[in-house]
Amino acid sequence: MAAFEYRQAQEVRDALARHGVRYLFIGKTGAILLGFPDTTQDADLYIKKDPANAGLLIHALRELGFELTDAQAQDIERGKDFVQLKQGPFDLDLIFAPDGIEHFEEAWRRHIDVDGFPVCHPDDIIASKIAAGRAKDRDSLPRLQAFRDYWLQKTKLTP
Amino acid sequence: MKDHPDIPPEWLAEFEAAARRPLEQRMKYAFIHTYKPVLDDEPFRAFDTMEQYRRWCEDNLPSWLGYGRV
Repeated sequence: MAAFEYRQAQEVRDALARHGVRYLFIGKTGAILLGFPDTTQDADLYIKKDPANAGLLIHALRELGFELTDAQAQDIERGKDFVQLKQGPFDLDLIFAPDGIEHFEEAWRRHIDVDGFPVCHPDDIIASKIAAGRAKDRDSLPRLQAFRDYWLQKTKLTP
Repeated sequence: MKDHPDIPPEWLAEFEAAARRPLEQRMKYAFIHTYKPVLDDEPFRAFDTMEQYRRWCEDNLPSWLGYGRV
């Protein structure tokens, strides 16, 4: 499995837009899109939890090359909170109920558009990492919080 | 630097350097792939709740991967 590439991020963005999927980039993937200099391994998408939206997502995923069985597609459609895909052109985590974020619409209202990539606000990315409470996030959180402060200041200064 | 007195200078330098790079280049540097035992061994996993997913990580993944809660 090769690493996730910019071209693939564009393909995700374009396929999900074509199918009208409501989603946001979240986690370190989202932070990197906002400019956070760090490394990660797979792409994380926060998908609006809704059967119709999940149906659209399945079409988009198959178009992207994810070979979902009917049972797997049903799992996604039935409203799981977390789905991990490793049978496609790149690894993808689908998060339908991220820790620390109550409602998709609230996160959507705060989201940032980066070259057409819909990205969670850094506050939401940080909230979800704090709520998840994982050891692997503990050390990187202070740097991510510092980046949030830097990003907020920079955004304020840029018209 | 004076605009961000609370940010360590080395982090600030990294943020500034990243901000000068185009998105495509930032992503090229950011995404790496290394094999993660257990986690990468199944093509598909789905969890009803995040709590189930977190518990599965704690029960099944090597602790050094860092997916356990602290």
